Formats: sequence, C-alpha cells, structure tokens
Amino acid sequence: MSRFFATGSDSESEESSSADEITPKAPGTTLKQSLLLSDDEEDTKRVVRSAKDKRFEELTNLIKTIRNAMKIRDMAKCLEEFEQLCRAFLKSKNIVDKEGVPSFYIRLLADLEDYLNQLWEDKDGKKKMNKNNAKALSTLRQKIRKYNRDFETEIAAYKETSLLHDRNCSTASEILCLHPKDESSSSGEDDDDDDDDEGWSGESKESDSESSDGEAKRQSMAESFLKTGSDKGEIKKLSKRRDKAKARKHIEEEEEDGGEEVEGGWEKVKYGVPLVKEKPKMFAKGTEINTTVVVKKLNEILQARGKKGTDRAAQIELLHALAAIAAEHNLGQGILVKIKFNIIASLYDYNPNLAAFMKADMWKKCLECIDELLDILFENNNIFIGENIAEDSENLAVSDQPFRVRGCVLTLVERMDEEFTKIMQNTDPHSQEYVDNLKDEGRVCGIVDRLLTYLENKGSTEEICRVYLRRIMHTYYKFDYKAHRRSLGLQGETKSEQDQEESEGEDSALIMDRLCKFIYAKDRTDRIRTCAILCHIYHHALHSRWYQARDLMLMSHLQDNIHHSDPPVQILYNRTMVQLGICAFRQGMIKDAHNALLDIQSSGRAKELLGQGLLMRNMQERNAEQEKIEKRRQVPFHMHINLELLECVYLVSAMLLEIPYMAAHEFDARRRMISKQFHHQLRVGERQPLLGPPESMREHVVAASKAMKMGDWRTCHSFIINEKMNSKVWDLFPETQRVREMLVRKIQEESLRTYLFTYSSVYDSISMEILSEMFQLEMPTVHSIISKMIINEELMASLDQPTQTVVMHRTEPTSLQNMALQLAEKLGSLVENNERVFDLKQGVYGGYFNRGVPRSHASAPP
Amino acid sequence: MASRKELSSVSSSGMASTGGTLDSPVKQVQIEGLVVMKIIKHYQEEGQGSEVVQGVLLGLVVDDRLEITNCFPFPQHTEDDADFDEVQYQMEMMRSLRHVNIDHLHVGWYQSTYYGSFVSRALLDSQFSYQHAIEESVVLIYDPIKTAQGSLSLKAYRLTPKLMEICKEKDFTPEGLKKASIGFENMFEEVPIVIKNSHLINVLMWELEDKSTVADKHELLNLSSSNHLEKSLQLLMDRVDDMSQEIVKYNTYSRNLSKQQQQKHQYLQRRQQENAQRQSRGEAPLPEEDMSKLFKPPQPPPRMDSLLIAGQINNYCQNVKEFTSQNLGKLFMAEALQGQN
Repeated sequence: MSRFFATGSDSESEESSSADEITPKAPGTTLKQSLLLSDDEEDTKRVVRSAKDKRFEELTNLIKTIRNAMKIRDMAKCLEEFEQLCRAFLKSKNIVDKEGVPSFYIRLLADLEDYLNQLWEDKDGKKKMNKNNAKALSTLRQKIRKYNRDFETEIAAYKETSLLHDRNCSTASEILCLHPKDESSSSGEDDDDDDDDEGWSGESKESDSESSDGEAKRQSMAESFLKTGSDKGEIKKLSKRRDKAKARKHIEEEEEDGGEEVEGGWEKVKYGVPLVKEKPKMFAKGTEINTTVVVKKLNEILQARGKKGTDRAAQIELLHALAAIAAEHNLGQGILVKIKFNIIASLYDYNPNLAAFMKADMWKKCLECIDELLDILFENNNIFIGENIAEDSENLAVSDQPFRVRGCVLTLVERMDEEFTKIMQNTDPHSQEYVDNLKDEGRVCGIVDRLLTYLENKGSTEEICRVYLRRIMHTYYKFDYKAHRRSLGLQGETKSEQDQEESEGEDSALIMDRLCKFIYAKDRTDRIRTCAILCHIYHHALHSRWYQARDLMLMSHLQDNIHHSDPPVQILYNRTMVQLGICAFRQGMIKDAHNALLDIQSSGRAKELLGQGLLMRNMQERNAEQEKIEKRRQVPFHMHINLELLECVYLVSAMLLEIPYMAAHEFDARRRMISKQFHHQLRVGERQPLLGPPESMREHVVAASKAMKMGDWRTCHSFIINEKMNSKVWDLFPETQRVREMLVRKIQEESLRTYLFTYSSVYDSISMEILSEMFQLEMPTVHSIISKMIINEELMASLDQPTQTVVMHRTEPTSLQNMALQLAEKLGSLVENNERVFDLKQGVYGGYFNRGVPRSHASAPP
Repeated sequence: MASRKELSSVSSSGMASTGGTLDSPVKQVQIEGLVVMKIIKHYQEEGQGSEVVQGVLLGLVVDDRLEITNCFPFPQHTEDDADFDEVQYQMEMMRSLRHVNIDHLHVGWYQSTYYGSFVSRALLDSQFSYQHAIEESVVLIYDPIKTAQGSLSLKAYRLTPKLMEICKEKDFTPEGLKKASIGFENMFEEVPIVIKNSHLINVLMWELEDKSTVADKHELLNLSSSNHLEKSLQLLMDRVDDMSQEIVKYNTYSRNLSKQQQQKHQYLQRRQQENAQRQSRGEAPLPEEDMSKLFKPPQPPPRMDSLLIAGQINNYCQNVKEFTSQNLGKLFMAEALQGQN
C-alpha cells in the first residue's frame, strides 16, 4: 500500500500501512497470493481459459470475504458467504470435475472448520458473542461438518502437506525450481494436474517466504522460466503481466483492508495516485473548494467513525489530506481548527478498547497535532471554541465575524494526559524505553502550560480549574531541587544542564500555592478541590514544610470523608498521607510519622493502597474485568514512593516509640501494642534459629531494636545507620545528613529512657553525669528527659540537685506483686460473671452452683 | 482432697483425709523404690520444661492394696512416627518383661506434671479408659519441680465411681452433672501411697543418709520463692481466664434458655386465648403443634471442661497455699536465726 502512496508518503501513511499489514498476516494472504500466482502463470501460458478463471475468481473472492469475516468473528457474515460459496462451487461443478477440487477451496474448508471448532471450544468468547453470531456459529458448524464429509480425503491430504511444508521448505523450493521446466515441456493437454501443482507450489513458496520475500522468489522463478522460454519479447510481456498481477493483488489487498468502506469516490486515492493529485479525486474535478464543501466532506468522513470495519488509519489519513486541502485553499483557520480537532479525536479513537495504549508514533503525532492546534489558537485571537457551540451555529468561513468552532481543547489535552499516563503504565519501568517516554513528560507539561495561558485569557473558571489541576498533577510529585538549593544558599553552582533548566522559572511552591488557592476559591466540583488539596499537601510534605502540610490536612477534614471518594482520589490520599508521614519523620516528629503511616502499613497492602502494583490475591476474588480496572488505576513508575523507604521509616519510628513503651510496661497485663507490624517483625526475628548479621532493612531494624532494649544506643545506632542502610534508605532523602543526625539523637534519647525503665530497679541512685556520658547527651537534655519521666510518673524517682543524681524510690511493685494484682482483678471479673449467672438462675433453676463456685479458692498470694 | 503427704521412703503416715473412706477396690498403693527411681530417671532423661513424660505401671492387686512393682516408659511422641502403634508396643514390652519374670499385669500409668497442671481432659479420658478396662488401675502423678525443691512428690489418683458413671454415659450437660451431684471436689480420689523397699535397700539408705553432707539437704531450706510462685500464679491466671470464659458461655446459654422459655410461654397463652375465642364462636380449636419443633432449646454447653478447670484451679491453689505456708515458716526461721546472730 505504501508503495502506491509513494509521493505523498509522509511517515503516517507508512505507519498506517504497516499497521495494517500486521493484522492480516493470517493464512488469508498466503492463500490469496498463491492463487494470484497461479492466475499469473496461467496467463503467461494459456490465453483461453476464461471459464475456469472466472469461476475460480468468483470462488476466491467469496473465500476472501469469508476469511475477512472470520477475522472479525462475524459469524453471520461467514454463514452467508459460505452458503454463497457452496452455490458457486456447485455452479463450477463441471470445471471442478475436469480440474479436480482446487486446493484453495480445500484449504478454506479445513481452515474454516478448525476455526469454528476453536471458536466453539472458546466458551468465554462464545458467551460474549451476540445472539445472531452465536446462532450463525452453530449452524455454520453443523453445515461445514456435513459439507466437509465429501472432501474428507482432500482435507486430510491438505493437512498433511501443510505440515510437511512447514518442515521442509527446501524440498518445496526444489519442486518450485523444477516446476517451470516441467510446465514448459508439457503442452496444453496436461493442464489439469499442472494447475493443481501450481496451487501447491505457490503455496509452498509462500509458506517459507513472507509477502516481501515472495517477490524475490517470483523473480527467480521468472528467470528460470525465462531460460526455457529464451525469448526477449516474452520477458517484457511477462514482467508486464507480473506487474499487472501485482497491482491486482494490491487492489485486492486494499479491498480487503477497506472492504467495508463505502466512500467509493476515494478508492482511487488508494490506488497509488500521488497524494498531491489527490484533491481532485477527493472532490470531483472542477468543484470549487470552499468551506461548505470541505465541511460536508469532513462530516462524510466522520460518519464512518466508530462504525465496524472502518479503517481508522485511513481515516486519519483522509483527515490529514483534508487539512492540507483546506490549508492550501486558504479556507481560514476556523476550518483548520475544526479538522485538527477531528484528527486528534480520531487519533484517540485509533485504539478500540480503553486498556490499550497509543503507539509511540501515534503519540508523537498526537502531541504535534495538539501543538499545532495550540499554535493556531495562539496566533488567531478571533477563534472561539467551546463544547456548547451548536453544530449549526458554527462559523467556519472567513468573514468579519470571529470564528466559532465546536470542540474543547481542554478535553483533548486531558485525554492526551491520560494517554500519557497509560503509556507510562504500560511501559516496562526498567527499560530505556521508559526513560524515552518519560522525556515526553516535558512536552506534555509544555502543552498543559500553553493551554493554561490560553485558557487563563479565554476559558471559564471551571475550565481554568480543570487545567490548573492538570498542571498541579504534573507538579506536585516533583522535588524542586532548585528551590531547595536556593533555600540552602547554594546558588551559582549549577551542575548539569537539567539543573540549569530547572533553575529557570518560579518556585514550584509558589506555583502550587497560586494554582491551588485559585482552585480553593473558584472550584465548585468537590473532586477537583480535593485533588488540589491533596496535591498541595503532598508538595508541602515533599519539601519538608511539615506544619503547613499538617495544618492543611487538618483543616480540610479529608480524613473524615475520604472513604466516599473514588479510588483514584483515595490513592492520591494514601500517597499524601505517606508523604506526610515521611515528612514528619524527617522533621523528627516520630509520633506523627508513626500515626500517619500506621493505616497504610498495618494493612500490609501498602503496594496496592498506593497504586504501585497489584497484590497477588487468590484469583477468584477478582476477575479479569476488575483486574483491568485496577491496572488502569496504577500510578506510573516515576511517581512511585519507595516502599522500602516507607516501611523503614515506619519501622524505625515504631521502634523509637515501642521499645521504651515496652520497657516501661513490662509487667502490665493490659499493655497495648503500639504497632502490630513492628511486633510481627520482632517475632519473626526471634523465630530465627540462627541469627546471622542482618541483611535486609527489616533485619537491621530488628537487630537495632534488640540493642535498644538493652539500652545500648551505640549498637542500635550502628544497625540503623550504616553503609547498607544508607544506600537502601537514608540516601533517598534530600537532606540526608540532617535526617541522620536527627535519628542519632532520637536513638540516644529513647535508649536513655529504655535504660532507665529497664534498669531503674537495680539502682538506688544514679548520677546524671554518668548517664550523660553513657548516652553522649548533654546534661541539660538528660535532665529534661528524666524530669519529664518523673512528671509523667513513668519513673518513680526524684532528682537530687546538689549531687546531680537521680534517687530511685522503689515504689514499683515487684513482678510477683504485679501478678497478684492481676490475679485479683481477674478473680474479680470471674466473681462478677458468676454472680450474673446466679442472678439469672434464681427462681428459674434450682441453682446448680449452689454448692459454691471456685470463688472460694482464690487464695490470696503473699 | 489433695492433702499433701511428705513422702520419705517409709511414709505411710499423713494419709489423705479421704483415704480411709474409699469405696474403691484399691485402698492403698504400694510402690517399689525401683518404680520411683525409674520414673524420676525417665523424666530426667526425656522431659524438659513443660513437656510431659508417660509410662505404664505394672504390678498386681493384693487384697485392697495395689502393689506396683515395675514400670516402663512410653517413647516420646513426635510428628515423624505418626503410625507408631502404642498398643503393640505395650504388648511387646509386657511380653518381653514376662520373659524375664517380672510382673506383667497392667495396673495403670504414670505421668509427669508441670507445676501441678495435670487435671485435663486428656488425663480424664485416658484414666477413664484404663479404669473401664482394668478396674484397679491408678494414675501416678510425678511432680519433678517440687521434687527438685527437696521433697519427693508422687501422687496416685483414681476417678470416683460417680465420675466413672458420668463418663460412661457421656452426659456432660448441666442437668446430667447436677443429677449426679458431682463437683470438682469429688471427681478424683487420691489413694495413699507407700513406698516399700527391701530391707537391704533400707539399710543402704540409712547408711547413705549418715554419710551425706549437710549441704545436700539444704535444698529444702532454699528461701527464694518468687520464681516458683510467679509461675504458679501465671498458670493460675490462665485457668481463671478460661473459667471466666466458661462462665460467660454458660451465662449466655442460660439467658437464651430463659428467653426462649418466655417466648414459649407467651405463645402458649396466646394460643389458649385464641382457642377460647374460637370456642365462644363455636369453632373447632386450633390443632395441637409440636412445641419442641417450634422452640428448639439451645445447645447446652458441656460442663465437664469447667469442672476440670475448677479442679485444676483448686489444685494450683493447694499448691500455692502449701508452698507459701512452708516458705513463711522458712522465712520466720531465717529471721529468728538472723536475730540470734
């Protein structure tokens, strides 16, 4: 196809044709070509065989339609055509009798039967079929079974040979080479088997050579033929004929591709007429090209849109051609904009189902188109576009009035953005391809930015809100290194180009602030505002503005009603919460960090909740449909939050909270776990029969916890902050050093607390100086920590100011006493329960417990 | 019931208060020193921590006295040999022992215990099957921890005839137990134990006692108590928790029952009223309906478990009581000694 577009071939046509060729690679082509070939050779050899030719052509045409119908699973059509085929076959009975059953006919029968059986087996597919199709399928199956009985031997032979051909193509080609000689020697009388042979040879040739290869083969064949013929004149004739046949083949191919297309007028366009000359074909010669005509044509094209069997690639082509025509005739920007709208729309339409993503070149084209569209819009201030402009009130002609075009750029851009997300979702994140795709992000952002400036002038508030949200969505998850450096006062030393690029423009924080505040003020749909708030919080948190982020979160009251929003928003919420928690951790607010992360981590499904991957659940729980939906919700890889970092932050904050708590409440029966997950990790660590040096992040945390339990902060520190953990976790933070310092400090403080809880019973008094030395903390800190503990009644002690010592009071009950207290409590509840039984029993029953319950046996322990 | 006996080699004194009034065929258990040694050895070698060791007692009945003359251990159960045939093992052991002229009559079994926790369903079931098959069989409970503290603890128990009957009928409903008037106190009966040695061994014992240093006997005077007490308390608390649960279960049951009874009552009344009305109108009364089908009584919770728990709690309490009284004595003694110095 592309060859015939030679002149007009921009990348699109080539692409579209190649895309076309992918689909019909099925047996159809091979058959057709073999058939054509046979025709071809017949032509060369014999001139008078028209009856047979005619019949066979009829058959082949029918077969082709059947194959097409098979491809699109149109059973009704299949059935219809098959019946016709049978009739046609009967008609050509006398020829068949003479020639034998043509091989292509047998092949179709065999293939069709296989195909039907396969369809029949495919229970799911059958269910999805509509009623008509399903009915047709069953009837057709019946019919072909009956019908094939007559050709049993031939079909069997075919199947055998097709296998054989697969195996040894070499022999096949040998036959091929021999064949022409054979033919030349044989005269007209042995036409019959000759013809049969051809059928096979052609096929065999095709089987080892795909469409393009076939040509070369044919060439060689022609040469061999040439030798025998040894007539120069014949060569010419031959080659000419071959060309003709080739052309015919292509026509047929075309027909196959665009078989259902009704626009008869343009078939000629495809016939290989150069694109420039296409205009007169598109419109009848001499027609004056004006706006109305173009619009009419446009509508004509668009009518085919969405119909079954419409060649979408061709449609895009046509639209492009139309745009070119419109541009050439200076029909004004209005019509151009309109056509552009439609081109983009049909680009989006190219993929029939929602799950598939755009191919790279389509995507590039789409971006270009949108860019061009925006160019036009920027250049021409007098174009009004809007969704609400009715079709008939459009003003596309060049006149004094401004253009009025129906359509919405915003929707197109939003769709583009979604397509981008889809492309990112469907690319392997660890490949170069992903990086390449990600480079388009800049363009996408650029388009969004341009649209933003455009709409700021022209759009309604609602539209502005929407485009702002798009902008926000492209900004919120990016760390603003430039602003970060600026805040550190490290201007000047831009290291790479990228940095330089980034250092232009305003701070992302300011942008976020401006855009979000606009949305807060103006937006009327709840969803956009929610998203904006969440993104704003995320952005704050990402840049360690903890208080702003927290205040915004608390003020928005999102925690209360987030459960009512749709899953993507919930995912965003989860992401925000996680980011908030990590931010709190960086700021040293361990408790806040723990609380923020608790919900996500305790479920054990962090991956799923953050939209960063599907969990392998038992499959019956979700069907394919749900899985598709879930897949569509996934966050692209470049926006992911590192899960290991998340877990590590959570576990470390849990450790800092839990270990002192555990030490303080060692004997408390009603002790609550602060973090179940942390305890789980501890248990896993304990269950290990052999404890080697820690490997994973979790093991490190567990080992550190154990050290902390003993109040050994140095070991704890070395487990939490070391080479491995740095590379795994801590280096992922923007301000690594500061975070590490904070962590060391926290570890020292909490270790001190743990130490005091655990070992206070063995001390009568302890000098604060020694404590400060032990934990490498300054005296005032130690003093304040101990004072806090005393005030909170966690530590029964008092401070002796002159000697700087802590004097223990020893009012804590011993473990035995604790135990006794607990027992007393339990017995109390037991008695209560028993009394209740007794109350109930009185009167009704004789009182089974009259003889006394073990109540009396609660002997008081010493 | 479980009054404790200090068992020295000749202790036949301090019999249980209930011991004399036993209405079972066995009124006394006489154990060979050998058996005691074997049991202790078995635990030392195989039992660790809370693991329990078990074995078979061999002997014969003389009048109302059960003489246990030998025993052999059961191998420890592991998951690997699930197809281990206990019965065959026993039979073969007994046959082999018979070949070397040892008493081969099966008269019960022994089991070690962990802080006195042995009153369980498993023990009840197996002792029931023993006693059902061999009337005079007893279960010997050996407490290694108490023994380690300086006083040998070995007790023989049998199920009371009442409990035997209940177990036979498998009727553990509240009513059933009530009718049998069985409580945790009279589930098991303790049979007094006498350890008998040959005269030669007695002589040797005397000699050994003379020779042994004072330090060997000091185990008895150990003052530290909290560890043992804590453990006992922990176990006691667990049981109390179980008991609470049982009571709650029972409570729900009885509440449901009474609720249903009320409903039934109301239903009957309504029906009577309706019938009266119909009668006044001269219509035929409503047909009788099966009450039990309309109101299915709730499934009563089995009470045996709570009985066992009660028994176990009682056991723990006895232990604690005994232990503390001894310890108090020791503490006073120590105080007095200290005061003197």
